[in-house]
Formats: sequence, C-alpha cells, structure tokens
Amino acid sequence: MDKNIYKPIDAVVEKVITETSNIKTFVLKLKEKFSFATGQFIELTVPGLGEGPFTPSSSPYETEKLEVTIMGVGGITGKLHSMKQGDLVGIRGPYGKGYPMSEFYGKEVLILGGGVGMAPLRSFLLALLKESGKFKKIILCYGSKTPGDVVYKNAFPGWKKEKNLQVLRSVDKADKSWKETEGLVTVLLDKVKIKIDNSVAIVCGPPIMMKFGTFKLLDIGYKPEQIYLSMERNMSCGLGKCGHCGLGKYFICKDGPVFTYDKIKDIPGVWD
Amino acid sequence: MSIYYLTKDSWKRLLTGLTETYDIYVLKENENKLFYELLSKEDLSGDGKIIYGKARSVQSLKSFFHLYAEDVSNLKNEKVKRIIIGVKACDLKALAVLDKMFLEGDYIDPFYKEKRDNTIIISSDCTEPRDNCFCTLLGGKPYAEDGFDLNLSPLKEGFIVEAGSDRGKAVINGNKSIFGNEAKETLNEDRARAREKITGKVNNKNKDFDLKAEFWKDLSKKHDSSAWAEHSEACVECGACTVVCPSCYCFLLADMPEKDKFKRVKYQDSCQFSGYARVAGGATPRPELYERFRNRYLCKYDYRPESLGIVACTGCGRCIEACQGGIDKREVIIDVLKRKK
Ligand SMILES: Cc1cc2nc3c(=O)[nH]c(=O)nc-3n(C[C@H](O)[C@H](O)[C@H](O)COP(=O)(O)OP(=O)(O)OC[C@H]3O[C@@H](n4cnc5c(N)ncnc54)[C@H](O)[C@@H]3O)c2cc1C
Ligand code: SF4
Ligand code: SF4
Ligand code: FES
Repeated sequence: MDKNIYKPIDAVVEKVITETSNIKTFVLKLKEKFSFATGQFIELTVPGLGEGPFTPSSSPYETEKLEVTIMGVGGITGKLHSMKQGDLVGIRGPYGKGYPMSEFYGKEVLILGGGVGMAPLRSFLLALLKESGKFKKIILCYGSKTPGDVVYKNAFPGWKKEKNLQVLRSVDKADKSWKETEGLVTVLLDKVKIKIDNSVAIVCGPPIMMKFGTFKLLDIGYKPEQIYLSMERNMSCGLGKCGHCGLGKYFICKDGPVFTYDKIKDIPGVWD
Repeated sequence: MSIYYLTKDSWKRLLTGLTETYDIYVLKENENKLFYELLSKEDLSGDGKIIYGKARSVQSLKSFFHLYAEDVSNLKNEKVKRIIIGVKACDLKALAVLDKMFLEGDYIDPFYKEKRDNTIIISSDCTEPRDNCFCTLLGGKPYAEDGFDLNLSPLKEGFIVEAGSDRGKAVINGNKSIFGNEAKETLNEDRARAREKITGKVNNKNKDFDLKAEFWKDLSKKHDSSAWAEHSEACVECGACTVVCPSCYCFLLADMPEKDKFKRVKYQDSCQFSGYARVAGGATPRPELYERFRNRYLCKYDYRPESLGIVACTGCGRCIEACQGGIDKREVIIDVLKRKK
C-alpha cells in the first residue's frame, strides 16, 4: 500500500517554554519513530486549522522528543501559542535537505542568526557541539531587537563555557541590563577573528537580516559558495509538489531550505 | 510498430466488452465544444454520437487525475477502473508534466497514482484543430507519438489502432478475435499522409505568429521586459488560465474540523492569486499583478523546463479561450521577445 504523504503523525505537547513575549518553544512527544537531519523542517498541524513549516530547534541526536520554537504571528502560530501541555498536534516530515555537516569538518564555522532564526540554528549548534572537535572553531553571532527578545536565555551561559565556541550577541536597542554589543547583528562581524578562506557562514533570520547579513559577509571576503542561507517562502505541501515555495527553478521545500548563495544569487527577486 | 485496423462496428464491439470492467469516458460535442461524458447504452447501439477526432476537449485530463478538490485525509480503497477515449496529443504532453510532479522524486502522491494506475488512456489524432491551437509552435504534433496506452487514427470508416504501452497491448491481446491480424504497412502511409495534412492545418492557423523553434529558451533573459506589465493590464485576476490549463499542477492543502478529527483537502490553486505566495506578516515575493502574470509564463517556459526537462505548456490554447481579458499568450510572448526592454 502506498503511503499517504499528506497525513501527519500524532504528537502531544509535553511542555511549553515561554522564550520571549511572542516566542515559545514547544516540546513535542511523537507517537511514532521520527528522526531528522539538522536543517530539515517539518510541517506542523494544528488539528482542524491547518499546517505550517517549522524547523526543529532541538538536537538531531535527541530522538525521544522534538522541540520547535515558534513566533506568534498569525492564525496557526497564534493558536499554537494558546496550546497547553497535553494538547494534540500533528507532524509531517522531515523535509528538505539538512546542512551538509561533513563538508564543514576542519573549518571555522560562523553562525549568523537573528530573532526566531535562532531556532534552526540552535539545532545546528547542538549538532556541531556534539562533535565539536571536528571543527576548527565555532563562532555564534546572534542579534535580537531588545534584551527581552533573546531566545534560549538559559542556554547561553553553558554555550559561553564551551571551549571551541565563541559567542557574540547584539541587540538593536540596549537597556541598562545589557552588557554586550548594541547595534545590528552585522556589526558583530567586525569583531570576529576568522580565517575566511577556511570558513563557512551559516545564516538564518528575518528576510532583511538575511539580505544585509549576506552582503556584509561578501564584503568581508566570503565567497557566495561559502554562505549557507535558510530561505523562506510560503509553503503548503513541503514535498516539492504544490508549487507554493517556488524560487526560480527551485522549490525551496525540496531543493532547500538551505542554499549556498551562489545557487540563488542570480534569481530575480531572491530577497523579496 | 504494429498497427491494427478496426471498423467502427468492431470498435463498438470492443467497447461493449470493455464496459463490463471499466467506466468509459468518451467525447461528445456541444456547441462546437467537446466534453468527456460517461459512455451510454445509446452510444453503443448507434444513436449517440461519440467524437474521436476533431481537437482537444474543454476539460483536460487534470479533471480526472488532479481534482479541483480532493479529500486526502486518508487513503481510499476505491479502485475505479476507467478508460478515457479521444485524448489529444497536447493533453498527453500535459499529463507527462503532472506525472513528473506527482509520481517522481522522493514522494509519490498516492491519490494521483491510484487514479493513474487504474486508467487506460486511448488517444486519437486531431482532425480539426481549433482556432487557438498552437501545439506545433511548441514543437508538438497534432497526433500522439507516445504517452498513450492505445492510439486511434481515424481512417475511412474505422481506425488505425496502435498500442503504446503494455497496458494497451493487453487490451489488444485480450480481444484477439476483434483485432484480428496486424494491418498492412500501406495503412501506415495513409496515416502519415493524414497526419501531415492536419499538421499543415495547425501551422496554417499560426502563420501570423512569428515564433522561432524553441523560442521559450529566450524567455529566461526577458524577466525585466516592459511588455509584461503592459499586457497584464488586461488581466482581471480570475485565475481561469490556470484552472483550465492541463499542466498547471499547483495545489493548496486546507484543513477543516470534522467530528473529533479533522479533514484535509487538496485544492487546485493558482499562482495568479495574490494570496498564493503570501507569508505571515503579509509580505509576498510577487505583490504586483504583472509579477504574477509573468510568473505563469516563466514557470511554463523557463522554470519547469529547467527542473523537469520538459516545457510545461502544450499549446492547447485553453488559456487563450478562457481569458476574460482577451489575452493571447502568443502575442504576449512575441512582444516580450521583440522588445529590447
Ligand atoms: C522552512 C521554514 C521553516 C520555518 N521555521 C520556523 C520556525 O522554526 N519558527 C517560526 O516561528 N517560524 C518558522 N517559519 C515561519 C512560519 O512557517 C510562519 O511564520 C507560519 O507558517 C505562520 O503561520 P500563521 O498561520 O501563524 O500565519 P498567517 O499569517 O496567519 O498565515 C501564514 C500562511 O497562511 C497563508 N494565508 C493566510 N491567510 C490566507 C488567506 N486568506 N488566503 C490564502 N492564504 C492565506 C499565508 O500566505 C501564509 O502562508 C518557517 C518557515 C519556513 C518556510
Ligand atoms: S493543440 Fe494540437 S494536439 Fe492539441 S487539440 Fe489542438 S491541434 Fe490537437
Ligand atoms: S498555458 Fe495555455 S496553452 Fe499552454 S498548456 Fe496551459 S492552457 Fe494550454
Ligand atoms: S511547499 Fe509545496 S512545493 Fe514546496
């Protein structure tokens, strides 16, 4: 019998963690076996309302539970934000291509994240830390609007102690409590010491940050093929069939969602 | 290639036998338009008028395989065996696009596959192209060379029948007494002559459209042409062009509550609608009408040839006939290619 590619598997909300005023992390327990490669995404069903694409923010090595970090912005995410422990959701996936981890071995991995874009990057970072010795160096540059908008607040102290990891954070608008950088996340790039020739940059964040982050990386010497971007478009199927996520000849859900910049830079409207 | 010759009477005897196993759809004419209808008793007794030749129907094969709306919550186990008769070459080309989208890659659409697996497709040569037919401009022909199970070429008071697949051969082998021996080679020549004549007719209908072979390959460089915005002014955003198009595959999954569970429905969708690509927060990569208008052309002539290896327009002319704004895509393309900017 063929598989119904449109049918989600059941999952239960086991815990809801409030990250910021509009971002929550949902810990999900799945009713069937499920695994993913970091960078792949899922379609999350709110029963009776619909689905949306989200990237797991937990480690791909964690197989018992799956975490997704979600910003409340509309219908489905709004409903998700009102959910409590024990509520039922559904999951399809994982879809798309993950980060090519082994291609990063021996390199200096620069992570550039903004806002809720930290969600997939946390999963990526946890995957890197799992085999930390294989990478020359890991640098995380993370920007938020205000100190209150920083996600995974409890994880940062631990990350800052990691030997092979350097963490730099910025906020667009600081308050008295903020001891780190003030300014757009791209200013952090002026502070990092990195051998660009032997580096890759992994970028995820709001569209405007992705665009200017990429330009800045090019500016300081990264080549388009060294820059890995998480592209976002409207999605419905996640399977490369419904057409919604088209970007030129690509379907982002199937050919991405992660693309090196050289693959997409000449597509008209790539940043729109 | 082996071909058979069947008189209309033998053909009807064949259909009579096949009705025991299959739902059979045939073409009927209404006000100069062809529609697929379920084969009736009268059709077999001789009173009903089945059309084999002429040209393409109003509905395309999409209406059999990629439905306007389909409940995809659960797999169904209702294998309906069907035969569709009178399918034209252009629609087979479009079916190849749908097949690539729904049957290839890492994921197979089980709803599409089930229908495809249980349907026999019997194509037939065109005999009277419609005014907006332009298959030949796209390198197509008004007769099928592949993609069918059986193909009929109307000739004199009967048909030349050719098998194009194992499924087609099985129909012939299962009805040896009706098909008899293979037809003489000379019939092949008669068929070739008829086909050449009809190809000339399609060419003739398009003689005023100056498009060179493989013109679509130049469209990728014409993204910024001013012609897109100008021609899109006549577009009323009804989406008819994509609804009638045999190769437009886009769909949207929509959920609704149902008892203690929920229902998931797969609806045909259209890139012409402003909400199609909208993301949370209201942003969309194609906010302007001309950008959506252009997208339909680039999808068919640039993106899908790149990703699927085939042009996703067959020249069936349905979108020209359906357009409320009277837009003829041939004219748009000529203008886009002609202009420097
Ligand atoms: C690969 C990928 C990974 C992502 N990962 C994350 C993540 O980890 N965390 C996160 O917070 N976000 C993530 N997002 C973004 C997230 O998917 C969206 O924010 C979410 O889908 C918004 O859903 P909503 O229903 O709340 O928003 P809404 O704005 O209500 O609706 C969003 C979708 O519904 C469509 N829509 C709304 N109204 C209509 C209408 N009337 N007609 C037609 N269509 C309509 C919109 O076009 C849009 O696609 C990701 C997106 C992608 C593509
Ligand atoms: S476009 Fe060509 S194949 Fe299609 S109906 Fe017209 S003449 Fe026949
Ligand atoms: S784009 Fe128009 S002419 Fe081309 S296949 Fe679709 S309906 Fe037919
Ligand atoms: S989301 Fe359907 S094709 Fe990408």
